[in-house]
Amino acid sequence: MSKLFFDHLLNLDKLDKQIKKVTKSSEEREEIWLLVDEIVHHKALECILDKLPKDAHVEFLTLFHKSPHNQDLLFGYLKNKISENIEELLSQELGLVSDEILSEIED
Amino acid sequence: MSHDPPGTTYKINRERVDTDYLRNKLKIKSLEVKNSFNEKYPHVEKFFADRGIDLSKIREHSAKIIATGALTGTLLFAPPTGIKSVPTGHEIAENINRTNNKLTGAPSQKELLDSLKNILPEKVGPMDRSQEKALEQTFTNIIGVPAKATLEGEHLNTTYGYIGAEQHLMRFPGDTMATHPKLAEKDEGMAPGRGAWGYVPDENEKWYAVVQTLYLPDWNTRLKYLRDWYKYRKVLIVNTVNGNAVVADIADSGPAAWTGKHFGGSPEVMNYLGGSRYKKGPVVIFFVDDSENKVPLGPVDYNDVNIPGVALKLT
Repeated sequence: MSKLFFDHLLNLDKLDKQIKKVTKSSEEREEIWLLVDEIVHHKALECILDKLPKDAHVEFLTLFHKSPHNQDLLFGYLKNKISENIEELLSQELGLVSDEILSEIED
Repeated sequence: MSHDPPGTTYKINRERVDTDYLRNKLKIKSLEVKNSFNEKYPHVEKFFADRGIDLSKIREHSAKIIATGALTGTLLFAPPTGIKSVPTGHEIAENINRTNNKLTGAPSQKELLDSLKNILPEKVGPMDRSQEKALEQTFTNIIGVPAKATLEGEHLNTTYGYIGAEQHLMRFPGDTMATHPKLAEKDEGMAPGRGAWGYVPDENEKWYAVVQTLYLPDWNTRLKYLRDWYKYRKVLIVNTVNGNAVVADIADSGPAAWTGKHFGGSPEVMNYLGGSRYKKGPVVIFFVDDSENKVPLGPVDYNDVNIPGVALKLT
């Protein structure tokens, strides 16, 4: 399993369908999946770091590095440090990212 | 010398151009996002570089951590909520003995579901080796299929995850749903692209499975060996909610990790596991230990009594 702690917030089924429609081989599909993944997790991390106080960055990154899959641990930490609803913010941000990528593909 | 009719040539070139164009656009987008991130947070890039990790490959890193955790039994770094305690060796042995001796006298399906309830973690996710060993015994004894979580040293990133509905795969160039066998209702149609090993032979297509080979930690370093090893490898898929079981062969790679699914099943596989409306659900997937190629693909009819409310057989 390859899991990142915010995977449950991703809703990219529409994007997945579109990618399957335009790719002809599994190699092409996998390459595009990885590109999408890179965009998504950079954007996710950016959204989190934008909201997290700077003095907590290294502590958060250490936890993320040790257990990037651990939803309870990482969201637990973020909820303690960020007053806003970080899951909701992240979910909105990831929705926008999905729309952006979709528009790139459909153009 | 024969040529493609002009229309076909145009279509092929157009498809090629479309895919290249899309890939390039996404590459540019990805670079822009990475550059902007690194400019804004240079300490993050340094943090990961100091630990020998490229942030772009964080999923690979996650897969390694999960695999190591499953081996050592220290999967989670903080005790999470909602996870059952792992069964003790004694509990597992008792469970296996009960299965072996058929002490309960219950129908096989109920026995299987009871065993799954005892052994599986509460949350869908990787299991440790003791849980997998207990399930191997359970599947062999109740379902009658010799299945292993680790076969010939190979192990999937997870053996307990969500399966999603896939489309039919092309069996030959020009294969279409006009001639391809299909389900009577809610058929998923045909995937526009080919499977991970190209066109899928007719005998391998009906009962096929999809696994995330692309996220295996050693996929890139052992590509040639692993591609051959996984090609049409038989797996036992058990629906952990109703106990339905099917033997399928691996014919494609996926799904993307960001879909929240870990495996895929052909329309026939999904229909047998959960009926025509079944699009996603938790399953256990083990490799079938079948060096003599005697286990047939398709449904495993191990039970002759249906439990009310939990359909085992399709009607």
